[in-house]
Amino acid sequence: MMGRGKDGRLLGRTGPGDALASGMAVAALALLAGFISLPFISLLLWTVSENSWRAMASPVAIDALLLSIKTTSVSMAIILTVGTPAAYVLARADFPGKKIVETLVDIPAVLPPSAAGIALLLTFGRFGLVGQHLEVFGVTVTFTTAAVVIAEVFVAGHFYVRQAAVGFSGVRRDVEEAALVDGASRFSAFTKVTVPLAFPALVAGAMMAWARALGEFGATIVFAGSFRGVTQTVPLAIFAEFQGNIDAAVALSVLVLGFAFVVILAVRYLTAKTTNHEN
Amino acid sequence: MPFLHAGWRVLRAAVCLVVLVGMSGCGSSASEGDDGGGSSGGEGGTLTVLAASSLTDAFGELAKTFEEQNPGVEVRQSFESSSTLLTQIQQGAPADVFASASEEEMDTAVEEDLAEGEPQVFVKNREVVMVPKDNPAGIEGFRDVAKPGVKLVLAEEGVPAADYALEILGKADEEYGAGFKKDVLSNVVSREADVRASVNRVVVGDADATFGYASDYTPDIRDRVEVVPIPPDLNIVATYPVAALKDAKEPDLARKWVDLVTGEEGQRVLKKWGFEPAV
Repeated sequence: MMGRGKDGRLLGRTGPGDALASGMAVAALALLAGFISLPFISLLLWTVSENSWRAMASPVAIDALLLSIKTTSVSMAIILTVGTPAAYVLARADFPGKKIVETLVDIPAVLPPSAAGIALLLTFGRFGLVGQHLEVFGVTVTFTTAAVVIAEVFVAGHFYVRQAAVGFSGVRRDVEEAALVDGASRFSAFTKVTVPLAFPALVAGAMMAWARALGEFGATIVFAGSFRGVTQTVPLAIFAEFQGNIDAAVALSVLVLGFAFVVILAVRYLTAKTTNHEN
Repeated sequence: MPFLHAGWRVLRAAVCLVVLVGMSGCGSSASEGDDGGGSSGGEGGTLTVLAASSLTDAFGELAKTFEEQNPGVEVRQSFESSSTLLTQIQQGAPADVFASASEEEMDTAVEEDLAEGEPQVFVKNREVVMVPKDNPAGIEGFRDVAKPGVKLVLAEEGVPAADYALEILGKADEEYGAGFKKDVLSNVVSREADVRASVNRVVVGDADATFGYASDYTPDIRDRVEVVPIPPDLNIVATYPVAALKDAKEPDLARKWVDLVTGEEGQRVLKKWGFEPAV
């Protein structure tokens, strides 16, 4: 409310030049919206005109989609289980080296995924730092579905942990403490009070992480390789199909785009709900 | 190929644009800069060569020779699978020379009137099986590739190196009995974008074996990779044709490049990098 009032006064002062400025701002938004929607429209037009809906049901597409659902589900289970308590510690605790840990959590978000793939290969590959010891027990990670999950967790984990930490710091300490005074254990105060209050933020973070895991390409193709039904997720299948069967590549792209759209809408809705809560 | 129609071209062109802008954008500005730098007439300019990825090292050396022989000229090269390069040329990639690892791709270029003059076969190559130096799967002879549990990596479908491998396996099927090819293919754990990528899987040591060209056994990987020969009666002879392109911006330089690789100096360098002379 205050911001709006301030803006109002500014508007009054600048006068005529402002019309041009806001006109340009609107034009910029239109440009951005057009720029983003055109590829989306192109995909749909292609799908309709070439009738490539059928390609969505091709064995390659189905295998890829099932694998993507499977791997992102496992990845999310891992991210939620490890990420939730980790995010709570980041939000609540002060400890030496916290800044370093925070930076570490952020790194996968700024690292190009292909670089992440190389790093993972040198870690979990057959001659990797960890991989060579696993090899002794007959465990190989590269070229397996597990490698896909590792890549997804590595690349997407950040998006959940970050958002969850913000959500947890938004929960007032006195509310938590009130629950403790009422006789709740620390654990049940966390699960019954803190988590529900931070829930919209947790869901929003989880969705961003899921979308990121679903779109994971660079780290997966470098670290896990590409093989149908084992490591070839939707993005890798799009890349492979692009060499020959363009209809399948388009169909898979439409599927992923549709999914991304749903996720963004859901996140928007939840974010709006969080804001209402605070008010 | 039913997908090779106008709409497909448009869509794929959009993606290829990224590659083309990267090459031509810098290429043309560089050539303008060179021209402005004083040299005139036939001197200066940028020669753009699209070559099969197996030619990476040999053409890399020849580019230096070419630049020495033609002062002021800059050679830009893009190494990818011949099938990918053909698509780029079909999309109007601003390139001067195409060197393919298979006559199939060159034939298509000629049929579609993209090549200038008759393509010349300039080298031959053979396929070999490559295994990591410590040979974890114990592949002593070609037949061992079919052993259960061998982690085999191939290039993507449609890449000449992989197509040749399938041809070899087809022949082996007749000699070793049906099932050999099937056994080998059931060992495939990943399909890579081009032949160099699949060889790198063995260099890193995560794959037990791959099919590559004899020329891919380059000096810098010899301490990490071992070659298992394929019986000559089963092997194929890969013939590499080279041609100047119709849309070449530097037709004179393109012709000079073809002369270089088919000439004595070019053949010497190619032989040094493991190719068999074919001129």
